[in-house]
Amino acid sequence: MNVIFQSTYYTLYQANNERCFYLDFGQKTVRMSLCQLLSLRHKIMDIHIEDHFDGDLNSHGFEVLMLCNKEHLFILNTLEILDLKNLIENGFMAIGLSAKSKVLIQ
Amino acid sequence: MKDIARQSMSIKVESMDLLNGQIKIEAHASATYLAMASWCEQNGFFTSAKFFFKQAEEEREHMMKIFNFLVDTGGNPISPEVTDINHDYSSITDIFESTLEHEVKVTKSIHNIVKKARQAGDIATERFLDWFVMEQVEEENTIRDILDMIEVTGTEGVGLQMIDNQVANWIE
Repeated sequence: MNVIFQSTYYTLYQANNERCFYLDFGQKTVRMSLCQLLSLRHKIMDIHIEDHFDGDLNSHGFEVLMLCNKEHLFILNTLEILDLKNLIENGFMAIGLSAKSKVLIQ
Repeated sequence: MKDIARQSMSIKVESMDLLNGQIKIEAHASATYLAMASWCEQNGFFTSAKFFFKQAEEEREHMMKIFNFLVDTGGNPISPEVTDINHDYSSITDIFESTLEHEVKVTKSIHNIVKKARQAGDIATERFLDWFVMEQVEEENTIRDILDMIEVTGTEGVGLQMIDNQVANWIE
C-alpha cells in the first residue's frame, strides 16, 4: 500500500491491487472506494467547526460520523475533525482530484 | 503508483462542489417558480400560472442535467435541501421582476463555475456548462421581454387581463 498523506492522527493509503483506499483512524483502518472517500469528504467539509465554539450549536464539541453506508461509526472531537479536514484536503490534492484550493475555494 | 482516483473520476472535486451548489440553486429556482405559479392561480393570472409551472419543470430539468453529469463523471451528486421559498408577492409585476432577479443570480453562478473550471483546467466541466451559458441568455431575454410587455400594456383597467393573456406568447 502507498501512503497518500499522513496527518497528525490519520493516514490515507492507496491499495493498487485492490483499486481502493484505506484510511487508518488509529484504532481502526477502514477500506474505502473512491465513492466512499468522496462521501466522507462531503460529510467532513459540511461540518462547521465554528459550531464547536458555540455552546448552543454544539454543546459537547463532538461529531458523529457514519462511514461506508453506516458500516462504521466514529465519534470525533474538535481537534480530530480539524485534522481529518486537513487530511481530506491534502489527500485529494495528492491523488490529483483537487486543484490548488486557494485558486478555487469561493 | 496507479492513478486509481483519476480512473474513477474525471473532474476536479472543486468543480463537483460548485456543481452541487448549482444543483441546489436550480432546485430552489424550480420551487420558487412553483410558488409563483401558485400565487398566479390564486390571483386569477391563469396563463402566467401555466408559464411558471413550465418554468418550474425546466429548472428541474436543468438540475437533473447537472446531477447526471456528476454521475457520468464519477462524482458525488447531492440531493438538495430546498428551504426559504417566498410565497408572498405584491403584484404580477413583482413576480416577473423577482423572476428576472432570480435568473440573473443563476447566470452569475454559472459564469462563476465556468471561470473556476477554466482556472483549474477542468475542460469537461467548462464545456458542459456551454449549454447553460446560452440557456441563461435565452431565459433572461424571455423575462425582460415580458417586463417590457407589462410596461407597454400598463396595469390600469383591463391591462392586467391583457398582460396575462399575452404571457401565452412565451409559453413554448
